[in-house]
Order: sequence, then C-alpha cells, then structure tokens
Amino acid sequence: MANSRNKNINAKLVLLGDVGAGKSSLVLRFVKGQFVDFQESTIGAAFFSQTLAVNDATIKFEIWDTAGQERYHSLAPMYYRGAAAAVVVYDTTNQASFACAKKWVTELQEQGNTNIVMALAGNKSDLLDSRKVTAEEAQVYAQENGLFFMETSAKTAQNVNEIFHEIAKRLPRAQPPQNPSGMVLMERPPVNGTSSSCCS
Amino acid sequence: MHEADIHDLSDDADYAASQQQGSRSISRCGSDKRSEPSGAEVVFLKENVAIHPTQYASERIRGRLRLIKQGACLFMTWIPYKEIGSGGGAFGHSDARLSDKDRNLYSIRAVPVTDIRSIRRHNPTLGWQYVIVVLSSGLAFPPLYFYNGGVREFLATLKQHAVLVRSADDANLFLLNDFQDPLQRSLSSLELPRAVSVAPTSTSESSSSSSVSSERPEDGRSYSEYQKHGQKSNDPARDLSIQVLEKFSLVTKFARETTSHIFREIHSDNLNTNDRKNQAPIVSNSNNDVDNSGLESASTESFVAADPIEKPSCRKDISAVKKLPLQWGVLSLFIFDKMTLVWGKPRQSPLGTEEWVTFLDAEGRILDSKDLRKRIFYGGVEHQLRKEIWKILLGYHDYDSTYAEREYLSSMKKVEYKALKRQWKSISVAQAKKFTKFRERKALIDKDVVRTDRSITFYDGDDNPNVMLLRDVLLTYSFYNFDLGYCQGMSDLLSPILFVMEDESEAFWCFVALMERLGPNFNRDQSGMHSQLFALSMLLELLDKPLHNYFKQKDCLNYFFCFRWVLIQFKREFHYEQIMRMWEVVWTHYLSEHLHLYACVAILKKHRKKIMGEEMDFDTLLKFINDLSGHIDLDAILRDAEALCVCAGENGAALIPPGTPPSLPLESNLLYSQQDEL
Repeated sequence: MANSRNKNINAKLVLLGDVGAGKSSLVLRFVKGQFVDFQESTIGAAFFSQTLAVNDATIKFEIWDTAGQERYHSLAPMYYRGAAAAVVVYDTTNQASFACAKKWVTELQEQGNTNIVMALAGNKSDLLDSRKVTAEEAQVYAQENGLFFMETSAKTAQNVNEIFHEIAKRLPRAQPPQNPSGMVLMERPPVNGTSSSCCS
Repeated sequence: MHEADIHDLSDDADYAASQQQGSRSISRCGSDKRSEPSGAEVVFLKENVAIHPTQYASERIRGRLRLIKQGACLFMTWIPYKEIGSGGGAFGHSDARLSDKDRNLYSIRAVPVTDIRSIRRHNPTLGWQYVIVVLSSGLAFPPLYFYNGGVREFLATLKQHAVLVRSADDANLFLLNDFQDPLQRSLSSLELPRAVSVAPTSTSESSSSSSVSSERPEDGRSYSEYQKHGQKSNDPARDLSIQVLEKFSLVTKFARETTSHIFREIHSDNLNTNDRKNQAPIVSNSNNDVDNSGLESASTESFVAADPIEKPSCRKDISAVKKLPLQWGVLSLFIFDKMTLVWGKPRQSPLGTEEWVTFLDAEGRILDSKDLRKRIFYGGVEHQLRKEIWKILLGYHDYDSTYAEREYLSSMKKVEYKALKRQWKSISVAQAKKFTKFRERKALIDKDVVRTDRSITFYDGDDNPNVMLLRDVLLTYSFYNFDLGYCQGMSDLLSPILFVMEDESEAFWCFVALMERLGPNFNRDQSGMHSQLFALSMLLELLDKPLHNYFKQKDCLNYFFCFRWVLIQFKREFHYEQIMRMWEVVWTHYLSEHLHLYACVAILKKHRKKIMGEEMDFDTLLKFINDLSGHIDLDAILRDAEALCVCAGENGAALIPPGTPPSLPLESNLLYSQQDEL
C-alpha cells in the first residue's frame, strides 16, 4: 500500500524468487549495508523497513522478504497482496532460477496489485565465471513484460541501492488506498495453475 | 445417557447441564430429609455445586450443597451425587473416572457453621462462581463451584442464621467468626486456595487439628488422595492463575526471590541435614549449591505433597518455617501457595552421568521412563549424555531396551542406512541427467547445507566434512521419505542432531524419528502448520483473552508471525547450546506433547504490553518477533510455558486437535499427498 502525505510515502515491497537467488542478501545489503557469505535460508518471512529520499518525496519501504521454496509458495499471496512494488530476484549463475523468476512475474501480473511496480534483479553479477543467464536475455524479457531490469550483487553492493531508488522513483505519487496491510491467511492456496511446479 | 452424550461433546457441558437442570434455591426441602437426623430443617439447598479435585473436566464431582438447621445449630453439608442412574444421573457420566469411594472422600458432612471462619467468594471471568470455605482451624475445603449460581443466596442464608460480616478489606471475603490471632487474620486475608486445603475425608476430626500445621493432615489416606492428583492444581488454580498471569514475571520473580531468601535462612541452620530426595549427588556443577537446593526443596511437589518418610528435608524446612517470625510464616504460605498453583518450578541443573545411571537397571533399561522424562523436563541433560539420551527421547531407541539391544539396533540400522544412501550415491551422471527431481532436490539441499549453522565450529570453514554429512543425511532422507522430500527448515532440525551424534547413521535415524512427529510441518498443503497455529490461537484465547482479542482486531489471528517458531521448534531463536536444551525438554513430552505451543504463548504474553501498547500490526509484529531471536531467556520461558500448561490443564489439551504435530499423525494422515513437485 502506498499513500502520500506531505510527500511521505509508505510503500509495501515484496521480494520474490527462487531459493538461494539472494533475496535476503539484497534486502540486508539495502537495509543494513551488510553481506554474509552464507546467509541462512528464510523461514516463513522476514520484514524490514528502510527509508529513501528521492527528488520529490520520502519513501518508506516496508519490505517483505519471503521464503523461496516452492513448498511455501501458497503463502506468498499473503505477502504480495497489496504490495506497491515487487523485486523478482534470480541468480545469474542459475538458469532455473530465471525460469522461476518468470513464473513469479506471471503470477504477479495475474494476481498482484494492478499498479504494482516490478523490478527484475539478476543477482550475483559478481560471479562472472559461472554466469548462466545473460543480461541481454533478461533485458529482453523485462521489456516485453514491462519490468525494469538490473543486474545486482549483494556481495559487492553493485546496483543494490540503485534498484530500490529506481522503484522509489517509479512509484505512483498519489495512489488510491490498496488493501489493508492486515492479512488473512488463505484457507487454501489461490488457484495456481500457472505456478504449481515452479522453481526448485 | 443420551443427554450425557450430548453434553460430553462440548467442553461447556457443565454450563449446558446447569441450564437444563435449572436453578433452584429453596428454603425447605422435605424430600431430602432422609439423610438428616429428625428435627433438621434444610434452610438452603443448591444442586450442582461441584468440587474439582483435578483439572480434568471428567473428574469434577457434582453434588448438593445444603445448610441444615438443627435446633440452634446450623450445619453445612455437601454430598456428591451417586454414579449414573441415581441422584444427578444425567451428570454422572462425566464423573465416570472417579469411583463413588473416591467421590465420597470429598463429602462434607455436617460441619457446624460455628466452625467456619470465613468464606471467600470468587467471581472468575472465565468459568463458574465458587467459594472457598475456611474453617477456624485454618483448614479449607476445596472450592465449591456453583454451576447454577446461587452464591449470593448461600451467603444471604448464612447471614440469616449466623453472624456473617463482609471483610472491610475485601468485598469478596465474608467472615463468620471474629478472630484475634493476627496470624490467622493474615492467613485469612491472603487466603489462597490450597494454601491449607485438605481432602475432607473426615471433616470433623481434621477440623480439630491446629492451624498452620494443618497443611500436613494426619490422615494419610486423604492426603494421598490429593497427592494422587498431584500439584497439577485444580480449577481455582487456573482461575487464579489466569488472573495473575498478567503479573506473571513480576510475581514469579518475587516468589522465587523470597523463597530463596527464606530458604537461605533456613539452610544456614539446616544445611547439613538437607538430603536430596532420591538422588545421587549431582557431580558436575556449581549450580547445585545451597541456594539452588533450597529452591528445589521449595518446589511444588516436595513442598505440597511432601511425604514425611521420603522427604525429611522438606519436613524440616516446613517446621523451620513455622518457627520463623510471624511475617515469614505468612509469606511462606503465600509462596507455598503460589508455587502450588501456577509457577513453573525452578529449573534444575542438567542431568549428569552419575544421576543418569540411577535411572537404569543393570542391563541399561530405563526403570521409570516418566521419572526420567520429568527429570529431563526440569533440567535437560549434560552434553556428553545427549548422544545416548536423545536417541531414547526421540524414540529411535526404546526406553526399555538394554544396552545390548541398543547396540545391536544401531549396528543393524547402520547397514540399512548404507543401503539407503547407496540409492542415490549410485545414480550416475547419465542417469541424473534424466532424473530432474533428483537434481533439483540435490541442488536445493546443497544450497541449504552451506548456509546452515556455519558459524558453529562444527560446521565452519571451507570444505567442512560435516557440511557434507549434513548434505548426505538430508539427501538420504529425501529418498527414505520420497513423498515428503526435502524442505527448507529440515537442515535446521538436523544440524544439532548431527552435531550431537557425530555419526552419520545415528544422526539419520534420530532425524527419521524426529520427522515421524514433525514431518507434517513440511506438508505441501501446510496442514501441519495450520493445525499448530490454530491450536496456538485457541490456547492464547484461553490463556490471554485480551491479547487474543487484540490479534483479532489487528487481523492477525493466523498467528503467522509465529511460523518460524513452530516450524523448526525455535531453532532460530536460541543459541546452539540453548536450542539443544530446549529441544530435549520439549521432546520429553512430559506435561504435554505441545509444550512448544505453550512456549509461544509464554513469549507472546511476556511481550503483550509492548505488542498492544505500540499497537503493532502484522508487519511490525512479525519484525518484532523475528528480532527477538537471540534475546529470549530460555529458562524463564520454559518455566512460564510449564506453568501455562499446568494452568490450561485439560482445557488446554482439549483445544489441541488430535494429530496436531508433534503428536503422531492420525492413521489416515500417514500418506503425504504426491504432487508434481520435489
């Protein structure tokens, strides 16, 4: 949910993507400026907030970092519901994670907030030697789907602040109220014909 | 019977019953005269007045309360209904666990009202109004629950026939006899249930015993009756506890400090005579000092149900308390009562080697599994024993297996493990190319093991072989239980087990045993998690209604903020040594299979003020709870969880549906649904 008051905007942002793509690492780099080699897996979800100043406003991101495993997919709607922005993360050294990212994009397009600002993050860009997904490939996909794309490295901090800044700039400045941020755990997962056998 | 069946369906059976029974309070009841001496007049009669000897709803005893006037004397009687078929037959059903003889132990037969010192009225927000009748001797009857109401009439009738004054200090306390003794006055004003309670086998005799010492009635039988139900506390305990839980930590702390204070004083006199009951001296450590043993003597069991033969030290303690100046005596009763009622016992030092062998027979069988589980529940085990004891707690080895049998099983299982491991070890590169599920599973496990507890020495550094073991065991498990597969969180559960076992096969089989119970946590449909979070929500509603209502108001009733706690049993919330302690305590299933849910409630309650005061919504709550990691006082939470578990009693247990993990799954749930996913 995003709403503006004196140009202070609260924006709910969700990170989605395959196991081990680097969702938590990205958010920890952005929020705390930290990086650890072996960031533990996320169980359930984690929540962070971080404030950014862009030209005309102060954006307070309320960031939901989710568990990547397909097994927990049914919980994801709880987190992306009402999100003003999403960062879909894949691992540039892992083709399967890119396929997984595409599925998340599709799901968000179908079920997410219609005005959602989506970013595609190709993470681990520092691992040049083991790259499997080219920037070109991802860029083409992003353009086709109306996302903006950046390659990032949580480890080196490359493009991490930039991607969040870019989202902040793109957030609609006056957005009608979305769903309340309180959440109701769905009794059953949403109809997920498109995503039943996603990543991992 | 039909009626009883219906009532039995609901925990509110008694309410329903009482409504059907109707409330009558009559001033005269001729039909009842049969058991009374001629010339007696029943001036008050109330049906469905009950005693709750235990916290179990099925062991509540309903009966008839009467005030009978004979000449100038007024007597109070309470006679339990007979079993099904007579008297309160419609309700007899739920008394089925107690024999008539048991029930009659609680009968109150013609107590002269002149022997009653005071009556305290309790109006719990949950449950029925009850009164506690205290005799001049200091004895108290178990609380009398008025299922059909009528406390007001009861008091009004008493007032008509005896001198009844409302206490100036407390609107719910009614005094029947003036008394001068300041100690008695203090006792009376404290007047906490069970402080001086006694099973009323022989009311008239026991009422003649002297005041403070009456907590140790002469009548062994009646005492053992009480003892049988243990210190688990009866309903007033729960009611009281529910009220005071708000001040949980404060009072607990107070009780603990004052207790240790008192016993430090006592021990300065009696140090050398303080034998530890049934226990070989604990070798190892410094925790076992005077202070600690003092606390232990004060623990509920030995204090309340002290057996004069087995626990001489306790008797000494009590007699020493009696010799203390007045204020100490009062205070000790207060503490005594508190501990009886709701407080988790002080944590003990971990079970050490010398004590451990006392639980075993010559061939290594555990003599009394409950005793052992209880011991571990209250203190955990020393690290070097974990390798041996965890296998038993987890159910990999049986409690009644011998050393030889355990060794044999382990060797057989080692062979079996190797065979299981070969299943995936033998997959060639070519085969793997055509085996997507295997590749994906392996990749997922590979991703997780390298980020599981790498800060622990056992798993740190590059190319650590233990990380590979973690991988191998998980991958083997995903073949052993192919339907369940691998799921994030499993590496967290395995890590301490492998660390303790230091053996691949043993770790695997322990993990298998653990997953028998926790496997449903990882079900695709989240059913195992849903059922636990649902049970948690019910428990919190029972134990902290305002907080529950707050969550409701904030649309947080899914309790999803506790997901991580429940999924991996607090693994991420405590340091490594602490989580091992917590797990072995939880795995004892001593008071409940679901102690972890009570621990959730305890932590939430601990922070209730902050949660509600800061009006946390779901997001902030999740952040707050995730950030508690590493800042939770394990011992305090275990104590609180224990107390909450005792408080909730059977009502709590009834809120947790059968088959809720870690209870073993119901038969029909044994199969994991197969979907096209790893």
